[in-house]
This record gives sequence, C-alpha cells and structure tokens, in this order.
Amino acid sequence: MSQHHKFTARTRMSDLINEDASLLSSISRFGISLGFGDKTVKEACEANNIDSNTFLAVVNFLSEGNVEINETYNNISIETVISYLKNAHTYFLDYKLPSIRTKLIDAVESSGQLSYKVVFMKFFDEYFDEVRKHMDYEDKTVFPYVIQLLDGKLHHKYRIAIFEEHHSDVDSKLAELKNILVKYYPAQGTNYMLNDVLFDLLSCEKDIASHNQVEDFFFVPVIEAIEHKLSEKS
Amino acid sequence: MSDSSLKIAIAEPSVIIRSGLSVALKRVQGIHIQTFEIASYDLLANYIRLHKPDVLILNPSFWGMANLPKIKEDSGHNTLKCFALLSGMVDESILKFYDEKISLYDTVEQLKEKLDKLFETSTEGNKDETNTLSLREKEILTCVVKGQTNKEIAQTLFLSTHTVITHRRNIARKLEIHSTAGLTIYAIVNKLIELDEIKKDM
Repeated sequence: MSQHHKFTARTRMSDLINEDASLLSSISRFGISLGFGDKTVKEACEANNIDSNTFLAVVNFLSEGNVEINETYNNISIETVISYLKNAHTYFLDYKLPSIRTKLIDAVESSGQLSYKVVFMKFFDEYFDEVRKHMDYEDKTVFPYVIQLLDGKLHHKYRIAIFEEHHSDVDSKLAELKNILVKYYPAQGTNYMLNDVLFDLLSCEKDIASHNQVEDFFFVPVIEAIEHKLSEKS
Repeated sequence: MSDSSLKIAIAEPSVIIRSGLSVALKRVQGIHIQTFEIASYDLLANYIRLHKPDVLILNPSFWGMANLPKIKEDSGHNTLKCFALLSGMVDESILKFYDEKISLYDTVEQLKEKLDKLFETSTEGNKDETNTLSLREKEILTCVVKGQTNKEIAQTLFLSTHTVITHRRNIARKLEIHSTAGLTIYAIVNKLIELDEIKKDM
C-alpha cells in the first residue's frame, strides 16, 4: 500500500482507540482482546496471529470516514477478512440484536400496555430474521465460494457480483423502527429505558452500515480481481 | 420528501478538491447524500458497474477523454447523471455529454438547486402538507393492519383498487413507515385498532 494512511504498523494500539473509539468493535472482531499495554499494531497482530496489513487496511478504511476508491488491496489476507466478517456476523446475531431485543421488551413492557409488546416484538423479529437470512447467505454461500476461489477454482456460474446485487439494504428496517419510536411512541415521563434502546439502535444501525461498506468496497473488489485473474488464465 | 437519498461518486485526482466537495455535498439540506471518492480513472468503470451511483461528478480537464456514453453502456447504468466539475475553461464540445456543470466556486445552495433540478428532490411545495392521516387513510390503514388485501379493502370501502393503492402510498410517505409490521405498531400505539382485532396474525 503506497498510499498515505492515518494508522501505521508502528501506531500504538491504545492511541488507535483514543483516536477513534468506534474501532474497538473492529479490534475485537479481529480477535484481539483489550489489555494491549504499549503494544504497537504490528506487535498486537503478531501476538494474535493476525495479518497486520489486513488489519491496517480495514481500520484505516473504517476510520477515514469517506469511502475512497483509490487502490487495490493486493497484499491483504482474504482469510483474515473472512474471519473478521464472520466474527461480525456472530456479534450481531448472537449478541447485539438479542440484547437490543431484551431492552426493547423491557422498555415497552414498562408502558403497561400488553399490546405494545406483541406488535413491537413481531416487528423486531421480522427484522432480525431478515438480517439473519442475509448473514447466513454470506456465511454459507459467499465465503465458501471465495475459499474455493483462493484454491484457484473458479465456479462455472457463480460470481461475487451476484452477491453484490442481492446485497439488500438490511438497515432500512432498523431506521423504520427508530422512526416509529422517535415520532410515534406515546410520551410518558422520562423514558430512560426507551432512550437507551434508541441509542443502541442508532449505534447498531451505524455499525451494520459500516460492516456492509467493508463488504462492498473492500471485500468484493478484491474478490472480483481474483475472479478476473482466474478467468484470464483459463 | 425527507427521505430522498442520493449516491454520488466524485472522480477527481486531487484529494483536497475531492474531499472538499464531499464535505460540501453532505451539507446540502433535505437530501441524504452518500459520497464515494474515486481517485483514479482505471477504477471508475468498475465502480459504476458494481455500485450504480445516482450521480457521477467528473473533472473533464483531467479525464477529458472520458467516454461517458461508453462508461454508461459498459456498466449497464444508463440512468447515471453526470456532472462536470469545472476548475477552468473547458471546450464546450466536451461538455455535451454532461447533464450539469459544477464550478469550484459553487455554493452549497447552488449544489442543492442543481441536484433538485435533476432529481426533483425539492421539498418546496409539499412542505405545508401535514403528516396527519385523513379519516379515509385511517380506515385504509386499519384494513391493511388487519391483513386485508388491496382488493378486499376496495370491496369493503367501495373504492377502486387503484385508489386503495394511491392511499397506501400516501400513508407510507406521510408516516415514513413502509412495512406492515411497522404500520401495525403505529395503529396500536395510536389506538386505531385493538390487539384482539389482529390477534390471528400475531
């Protein structure tokens, strides 16, 4: 990577987080846990057996905010990216969304209206199903396809562009729920619990959106380049 | 329309101009703009094919030979709108393939006017419209939430299916809620319907 970027292999992990706290979740998705002392990016990656080029490419991509298409990432480890994306899926499906669900139930139950709980849960569970379907498709279809590709086997029909076309916007429904709560939820007292859920929804919405951007602007172009190389060979 | 959004790609070699324009576009009122910065011409066609932005802003003095009709055709994206980003004098004949021009000295308001003109994203006119539902719309909303089809709603309320569809579109626009599950929440919290009337779908 010839381009100039904010974070380098010599950046200290603690500085990286001070600079951009939203990178915390990325760091844990790479499998690096807190307590890094004065370790640099390079040292922390080596200690955890993670390709530091890939780590830097992802955190720089995420923290620079602007989506900039100006380089081809040819020295990154696709296996590392896949494990990063899979960990993110696990985080959303097994931790974050269930936790929002619990908070949402508590908040609407506190309204004392039994009917609220029923309709909110139906909405949330439909949304949850959609996200799960989307992420399962990646785990079960897209990633295995890519791993085959890395072995030099080009599928006779499937291409990563198919995934890109099916990459429906799962975050629009979350925005709708946010909208319902902000605009139409009957006001009652201080609503601490409800505000809490809203904060969670907002940060989850952002998190999923940037997760999708890593897939769209980082992962997919690299895979396309591999497809291209393989199809020229054959 | 508060939910209009545009994907805008900025193809310009200068990082300062590129990022500056990107920041200026995010300040445009009433449109949610997502920008993508493209720093080299080689990556442009591929990006457009994959991500199908609504607008491409291109600096013709750097990539003057950019063959816009070919870019559109190759990427299968014929509805792409192209803006020329002008930093100096440019031969008019080059500009004929562009839908609009942007000067380095355009204000945010001028950027907004140019986008509004091409995308009819202007909020003028429907600003006065209230977001409260009419009585008829409330009736239709109740039927939708009960799980009735457009045809059934039309029969119950003695309307044409076409009218029902128009009402439904207006309801979704006014409330900014598009899913049935979302409308159900709206109907319940606003006491338009009781839970036992819809219980069978729950």
